[in-house]
Amino acid sequence: MTALGVAVMSCTIDKTDFEAELNTEIIEYVEFSEAVSINSDDYQISIEALNGTFYKGYNEIRLQLRNIQSNQDIENSEISFLPIITTYNGEVASCPHSYNLEYNDIEDYYSGYVVFTENSSDTESWMLYISFTVEGQIFTVTRDIIVEEQTNKNLNMTSFTGNDGEQYYIALVAPQSPEIGENELVAGIYKYQQPEGEAGDFPDPSQFTFYEAENYTLLLDPRMPEPSMGNHSSPNNQDLIQYEDGLYYGVVNYTMTGNWTLNFIMLNADGETIKGTEVPTDFTPGVEGVKSELHIDILF
Amino acid sequence: MKTKITLIIACFLAMRLSAQNPNIEQDSIVALETVELTAIIKKKIETDMKMTVSVDEFLASSDNISFIKRGAYAWEPLLNNMSSERSTITIDGMHIFGACTDKMDPITSYVESNNLSEIDIKSGQEGSMHGATVAGSIDLKRKSTAFSDYSMWKGAYQSGFEFNNKQFFNLGNVSFSNDKWVADASIAYRKADDYNDGNNEEVEHSQFTKFNTSLGLAYKTSELASVKVEAIYDEAKDVGYPALPMDLWLSRALITSVSYKQLFDEGLLRAFDAKIYFNAIEHYMDDTTRPENLVHMDMPGWSTTYGLIAKGNFKTNRLSSEIQLNAYNNLSIAEMRMYPQDRSERTMFAYSWPWVTTRYAGLSMNNSWDISEKSSVNFGGTLGINYNHSKYVDFNWIFHPGAPQEKTRLLPSLNANYLLNLNSFNFSVGAGYGHRAPSVSEGYGYYIYNSFDRYDYIGNPDLKNEISYELNASAGFSNDKLSIQANVNYFYIKNYIIGRILSLGSPMNYQSVGVKGYTSLDHATLFNFSLNSSYAISDDFHWKGTLTYARGKDENDNNLPFIRPLSYQTSLHYKYKKINIQTSVNGDFEQIHYSPEYGEDETPSYTIWNASIDYSLRLFDYKTVFQIGAENILNEYYSTYADWGNIPRMGRNVFTSLKINF
Repeated sequence: MTALGVAVMSCTIDKTDFEAELNTEIIEYVEFSEAVSINSDDYQISIEALNGTFYKGYNEIRLQLRNIQSNQDIENSEISFLPIITTYNGEVASCPHSYNLEYNDIEDYYSGYVVFTENSSDTESWMLYISFTVEGQIFTVTRDIIVEEQTNKNLNMTSFTGNDGEQYYIALVAPQSPEIGENELVAGIYKYQQPEGEAGDFPDPSQFTFYEAENYTLLLDPRMPEPSMGNHSSPNNQDLIQYEDGLYYGVVNYTMTGNWTLNFIMLNADGETIKGTEVPTDFTPGVEGVKSELHIDILF
Repeated sequence: MKTKITLIIACFLAMRLSAQNPNIEQDSIVALETVELTAIIKKKIETDMKMTVSVDEFLASSDNISFIKRGAYAWEPLLNNMSSERSTITIDGMHIFGACTDKMDPITSYVESNNLSEIDIKSGQEGSMHGATVAGSIDLKRKSTAFSDYSMWKGAYQSGFEFNNKQFFNLGNVSFSNDKWVADASIAYRKADDYNDGNNEEVEHSQFTKFNTSLGLAYKTSELASVKVEAIYDEAKDVGYPALPMDLWLSRALITSVSYKQLFDEGLLRAFDAKIYFNAIEHYMDDTTRPENLVHMDMPGWSTTYGLIAKGNFKTNRLSSEIQLNAYNNLSIAEMRMYPQDRSERTMFAYSWPWVTTRYAGLSMNNSWDISEKSSVNFGGTLGINYNHSKYVDFNWIFHPGAPQEKTRLLPSLNANYLLNLNSFNFSVGAGYGHRAPSVSEGYGYYIYNSFDRYDYIGNPDLKNEISYELNASAGFSNDKLSIQANVNYFYIKNYIIGRILSLGSPMNYQSVGVKGYTSLDHATLFNFSLNSSYAISDDFHWKGTLTYARGKDENDNNLPFIRPLSYQTSLHYKYKKINIQTSVNGDFEQIHYSPEYGEDETPSYTIWNASIDYSLRLFDYKTVFQIGAENILNEYYSTYADWGNIPRMGRNVFTSLKINF
């Protein structure tokens, strides 16, 4: 009977394949693979990143150190990691990163992160400065790398100078591929430490110190900027607060696919606004949504 | 109410008749017709005024049905002044659910008057036989010809033209029967342009085109048993809804069933009926005809249902019973895809019904017990299980975090009626109790735009069952000349489901002003009253009059929306030889008890005058009737309390129709 019905009447317009619909804009990467490999004397450093690529924005990195001669992984080495960008006018700068990589003895790699603030281009290039110790001896290596444009807007980042005069960076960490509905929103907030002393020999890490901004709050107001959506928003969102791993966690609800703007107001521990403005909450069809001066656009 | 009472009386009479004649006719052909133990009022699908009517127009002639009208097509029937979620609407007991989130397609829009034989309306819990209900049930009965001893062809053709909206219709049906086979077929096509209101202004987007065809094939497998296969196909295209921001591009319904019927000459079980059915509806809205819309949006919807009905009729000397098992599974899907102004940009997608499955299984029983020659009791009950599952429950979690993805509800129902006939007087009192589960929209709807109050509606999966406590009574008198019948019913509905403004969230549809969530009021009450009378001035000259009144209040004594104000209808019918002349006046008083909270404003009173004349003749030996008439003769400009967005009703409409029976 059902078969008869289906045969007589297949749908005039096909139903949307919801899973495919959610993935039209986004290729989700879950596999770590080698992004760069560096040889130095008897040692090989291999750095893995998602999809084997460094992208602008937040990158989790997994480093492995190996003695090529003995074919042995070296554990518990002291590893420092410093990315340096050279800009078109020859200036050098860094970006938020974990300088000391921690050894993860369950997974057998050194773990850390780096938030690239620019992608590599003809005029701007990135270089990694890595040092490691083996049996009391310090080795240093450098290697230029390519940082690709991040096409997934859900991993966008922004940087700004706060009202306190400090330089801040906010990078989205998750969700890589949002769902309609409730999503745990994860972001890293980083701060640049203004150097106090004179620069030593290049690259002097004290000139390039970044750390995880602590005890801030990121007030969240997600909205659809598209004029026809009239400043549409969603209910039951939660502001981002810092967890033990240093990242900031909150909840964002997306009511439908499309362009969304995450409007933020960043408060310090005393509740003072570091950056961001309140956005209008009225429904204004036909008018493009006003964005907070601190915001990140996403798309899914 | 009147329908119900008439029904009860008819039922009662039928019982008595068969009680007096316990030997069922041995002729199975006749038996197939007569052993309908649940008697139903036979009402031809035509109104007093018009012989070729749409299903909507026909339903409108019933006292306890009113309509929300969003245009000229597919009116939403309100039974006892309650919206369609509160009634069960079935076709031959089969459950079908519209595929439009905006209620553009009530079930009544998927049939046509020429494939129906009657419409069985039951008020309140007496209608729970087919499934859980609060308001009652509307069962659209399909035409079905009886087996005959010799081969017989029968048919009718109707055609006509309505001048106001240039509606041209052609309806044909034909049946064949012999002692083994019966075939019923019908085909219908209607096409109408925009109608004009009482100011002779065109109401844009009120056109429609409808095609409907049906086929039924029955085979007698033994003396007392038969098998039947039936199908209806309906297609509406380019239908305008002037009260909505969107029109309909295409809707299609396929309604199929296979049934088996077995009668028994003797014993307790007299008839057994089983049916399996499948129906699928697809519905595609269209806003490209509305350039004023800021956002282009696709809103397709699909609804697929399959189910089973099995029933047995039992009879002892004074008690007759019907036991029915009902089970169905429905999947409702509705999508919305909004297009940004820059069409190259990403579209915005969401489900307004996130693949919601409804499963229901219920066992119902209805009994009629003759206490004496003069009095009888009807009582019955249903126990149903209703299960819902939302596949993409994330949509529901946005407003109701942590709501369960599936929900099972128990839906009990009980009803009892006492009937008394004393000479020319009849009385009845009754009571009912029943639960209903929230509809798909009420439970799982997501940003469903309601253009009446201009809110986006959000369903709540955790809504409680709506519980109805109902009392009804009637009293009547009739003799050869005069008949008067008064009916009242009162509903106390606990956990009454209605939309309330949410402080959360913001609208999605650009016309919308806010978000409402379906919530349960503590209770609401509804009162319906109707008075019908008729008087035969002479054998050929009749008068009829109807008065109805209803009142609905929420827990705070505020008015409920869509409650019909005091309304009246009075008509005269005169027969002279082969000519029938009829004229009627109907209208509503001012709607004083309106509900501003739900987007209503005060609707002024109106009065409409209609008249028609028909002439019967024999054309080439075929019985032929020709009719001409006019509705709203005075071309009054009006809209009723239930016209969505106060769209004006049709102005003067001259109609003609021709019916040839062969």
